[in-house]
Amino acid sequence: MPPQIFRLVLLTLAIIVSYIIARYLLTPASFGQYGFYRAEALAEAATPEPVFAGRKACLECHEDIQEKLLKGEHKTIGCESCHGVGREHAQNPDVKLGKIGDSGCLRCHEDNGARPAWIKVIVVKDHYRGDKCAGCHVPHQPNEVP
Amino acid sequence: MKHSVSRRQMLATLGGLLAGLASLAAARTARGAVKKVLVTTKAPRGYDPHQHKWLMCFDVDKCIGCGLCVDACKTENHVPAGPMYFRTWIERYIIKKPEPGSGKTRGEVLVDSPNGGRDGFPPTTVPREEILKAFFVPKLCNLCEASPCTQVCPVGATFDAPDGAVLVDPNYCIGCGFCIQACPYGCRFLNPETRVAEKCTLCYHRITRGLKPACVEICPTEARIFGDLKHPVENDPIQAFIQKHRVHTLKPHLGTEPRVLYANLDKEVR
Ligand code: HEC
Ligand code: HEC
Ligand code: HEC
Ligand code: HEC
Repeated sequence: MPPQIFRLVLLTLAIIVSYIIARYLLTPASFGQYGFYRAEALAEAATPEPVFAGRKACLECHEDIQEKLLKGEHKTIGCESCHGVGREHAQNPDVKLGKIGDSGCLRCHEDNGARPAWIKVIVVKDHYRGDKCAGCHVPHQPNEVP
Repeated sequence: MKHSVSRRQMLATLGGLLAGLASLAAARTARGAVKKVLVTTKAPRGYDPHQHKWLMCFDVDKCIGCGLCVDACKTENHVPAGPMYFRTWIERYIIKKPEPGSGKTRGEVLVDSPNGGRDGFPPTTVPREEILKAFFVPKLCNLCEASPCTQVCPVGATFDAPDGAVLVDPNYCIGCGFCIQACPYGCRFLNPETRVAEKCTLCYHRITRGLKPACVEICPTEARIFGDLKHPVENDPIQAFIQKHRVHTLKPHLGTEPRVLYANLDKEVR
């Protein structure tokens, strides 16, 4: 092989090798494992701790309330929809949980002009007033009047 | 002519440089391997994205517009508080009656979403007798099969995960905003704190632990239904939903093939 060709081949090889190494150094390690992205990003997206505890978390200690709830019209509502985030409380019952007040009931029950026909709505100024909602309705069993 | 740098020296330098780079690469591989063994992440173990295909369904007729999902999403995912940053939100559609004698099927369409519906909806100012019909539509990332947002990303920072979630890699995103422009559903925003694109992740940290996304968890009326197409459970709510309703997607003409299905959708919704 003539020396000038040999040198050209060497040079080309050197360029290709340095390109491959530079490319390797510049792309993140897990890039391309699943597709044109960093596969590690999936694990990273899964890393944060959940905030809401979920419906099952309350059953362990409050099964009685859940049973009551399932009998009434509020059966589809989870505990945390009315009591807020319960993760800490579920781990340590000394942490007190809040509960919704009248404005919380009205979030779902006030007539605002666009609610579907199946949900029972009230017009606040026409509804029985003078007491809290929970004074006349049992939140866990809304079908009953105390 | 005398060379100031001899050929031998030149070749030696180049060779040395190459060898240096090669050993750097080897060192990096070794470090990666050690890291994999030693550093434990908090990510749940044993979750294989190839074993799942997530799907979200909405029953528009069941949504009462309480906005608890919007609030739950912000709490769960630490979404910035401002009224323009939402991963999910609720829109109220009020369709007025047509003018008498106008020959139209319906009148003006009013859409509002005060603070994304996070605080619920105040009573409407439109008089009752002028309303033809009204309803709430929950919105979030449409989980497109052919997602325009991932196609425009110049660096591969947003992608379709094998389980159907469309995610953003916050460590790789350069914040150029192309994906925000590309999303036909307006489901993305630039996070003002991190300066990277952000969107619904289907609560990836929850679904990988076997929990439901926060919005589904908190919904009081089962208007949001979430499930796995690869692992149907007994009496699967997703299968039942698709059987029972005529389902539709948003903007089907764009060919994005959304995997968020709506039942009882009106043609005015876009
Ligand atoms: C480890 C058992 C345990 C779990 C799990 C648990 N709780 Fe409790 N909870 C208690 C106990 C014990 C009390 C009574 C505390 C008291 O009266 O001081 C209580 C009281 C409450 C109260 C009333 C607080 C008050 O101030 O009157 C609410 C509301 C409540 N729990 C909601 C929940 C919700 C929602 C969950 C699910 C996220 C949950 N709990 C999970 C043990 C538990
Ligand atoms: C519709 C909203 C709503 C839901 C759903 C709900 N609660 Fe309550 N809960 C309330 C309200 C409001 C009170 C306060 C009642 C009062 O002040 O008399 C309350 C009170 C309580 C109390 C205090 C003791 C008592 O019985 O009065 C406990 C414990 C409790 N809830 C647990 C639960 C658990 C557990 C669940 C889920 C299975 C749940 N709640 C679901 C609204 C709700
Ligand atoms: C998160 C939404 C939500 C909240 C908060 C809520 N409700 Fe309800 N409520 C519902 C749904 C859904 C139903 C079932 C549909 C219906 O019957 O209207 C219902 C039904 C009712 C009913 C009708 C029961 C029957 O006899 O048919 C009453 C009364 C009621 N709720 C009172 C309350 C009161 C009082 C509060 C506050 C403690 C409250 N609700 C909070 C969603 C909610
Ligand atoms: C003084 C007692 C009283 C108070 C206070 C009260 N209610 Fe009622 N509510 C009733 C009675 C009685 C009924 C059933 C008869 C009726 O429909 O008028 C009722 C019915 C309802 C219904 C069902 C309406 C329907 O169409 O069937 C809802 C929803 C409701 N109340 C929500 C609330 C909410 C939310 C509050 C708090 C803002 C509240 N109530 C406060 C006594 C009360």
